[in-house]
Amino acid sequence: MNEPTRPEWREALRRFRERMGGLTEVKKARQKAHREARTLIAAALKSGAKSVPAIARETQLQSPDVLWHVMAMKRGGDLREAGRAGDYYLYALKEREP
Amino acid sequence: MLKLKERYDGLVIGAGIAGMQAALDLAGQGFDVLLVERQPSIGGVMVGLNKVFPTLDCSSCICTPRMAEVAHHPRITLLTYTDVQRVEPLRPGFWVQILKKARYVVEDQCIGCSLCELACEVLVPHEFECGLGARRAIYIPHANAIPQVAVLDPEHCVFDGACAKACPKDCIDFGQLPQALSLEVGTVIVASGLQLTPMEAKKEYGAGQFVNVMNPLAMERVQASNGPYGHILRPSDGKIPRSIAYVQCAGSRDKSIGVPYCSRVCCMYALKPATMIKHELHDSQVTIYYMDIRAFGKGYEHFYRRAVADGVRVVKAKVARITEAEERDLILRVELIDEGGRLAEVRHDLVVLSQGLVPAWHPGAILPIAEASDGFFEVPELATRPARSSVDGIFLAGVATGPKDIPDAIVEAGAAAMEAAMYLDRSRAGCVAA
Repeated sequence: MNEPTRPEWREALRRFRERMGGLTEVKKARQKAHREARTLIAAALKSGAKSVPAIARETQLQSPDVLWHVMAMKRGGDLREAGRAGDYYLYALKEREP
Repeated sequence: MLKLKERYDGLVIGAGIAGMQAALDLAGQGFDVLLVERQPSIGGVMVGLNKVFPTLDCSSCICTPRMAEVAHHPRITLLTYTDVQRVEPLRPGFWVQILKKARYVVEDQCIGCSLCELACEVLVPHEFECGLGARRAIYIPHANAIPQVAVLDPEHCVFDGACAKACPKDCIDFGQLPQALSLEVGTVIVASGLQLTPMEAKKEYGAGQFVNVMNPLAMERVQASNGPYGHILRPSDGKIPRSIAYVQCAGSRDKSIGVPYCSRVCCMYALKPATMIKHELHDSQVTIYYMDIRAFGKGYEHFYRRAVADGVRVVKAKVARITEAEERDLILRVELIDEGGRLAEVRHDLVVLSQGLVPAWHPGAILPIAEASDGFFEVPELATRPARSSVDGIFLAGVATGPKDIPDAIVEAGAAAMEAAMYLDRSRAGCVAA
């Protein structure tokens, strides 16, 4: 990551944060929940490719939430499609390039 | 700091397909046009659609060249993420106040590289994907967005500065403030577009609580190759739906929700994706429950017959109620009109409500033009001057005057631009009443 050359950016960010009401508990909780969901999904896929309902069963997350996170992780390059089982696509962890 | 000229010949409000066309047609006649869009990208509803009827052309393939033309036209000044706050008649012309909202990104420095987006850890339901996909707290509005400039959403920002650290152009500006500007224009074209009737209003269809009851724009995104899933899947569990229902008039011709009129495009916007589903998922069953099929436009009746020939089931029925069954399947209680009103219960994996069209903007005191009883802008001389509003010098295009399809919106935009050009000529000749 580059460090911005604009010298006042940290101060501008501090003032921006203040102006927008700071980092609220709601935001923190939402961030934490999202991070945990992604961690659980990644853990569930360590044993192999799975469908959304199978991930939901293993993680105890709601299946619409699993689908949403799976798609976000796929778009972010963390997951890939790994074939199909009946009417469900399977998803697998993507090996990170060294 | 944004700098504009003090005067433009024309102001076009809304940069959907009608607004873009009106701006191009007016600028093409040599007039300087200011095109204002409240969203961070131009393109309106059309750029999010999968295909257009009846040709099944890729919607964004048609829309994006026009977006680029607007952005590069020497006589069009484009302002995105900007609200119109006041329009007052000067006779001739208008005084206009606008508010350029803060993107927290320096627009003319951002190169749309998405590095800020990739650095941001926050996930937010993406409005462009109707919530089915995720975006970041700082994001490029969508792949075809114009301008390709990021926008920071302060409501979801966690203020960690990751975007600023990642930006190679150093163009994240946390100190940016909204900017109010005022100027004069010779004429105004309103192309403020549409929104769907609220799903919450249809309590008998689950009032928006059933995850597998979708709105038609969400289904367009699901079908789009660059959509949230990349395949046709249902949102509850990612299953490939094998039985899909479209429920017609689910928000139009319904006095109980204040929309007594026909929205004109729903029959076709259901037949189109239904056909596309049959093309992609050959063994899935698609059923359209309808009261009347109104395939009124050029080539539409042929398209309807082709859809039926492709295997789309059309059932004349009134859907009385939708309930959720196990695994979030849906049970439709229907009155089968062609079977003497026999009641039946039918199970589907996924249901799309063909919601009606209502105006996207009710400007109230912002803009001094009258609304008709249906909520769209009044057209005093509907039969002979369909682009004229109740105020001399303000013209209307697209769904601002009532539901219509894309070809009609484009035709009307051309008419509005021609009316506006004639008004400007009359103003210059001193023929407009002071």
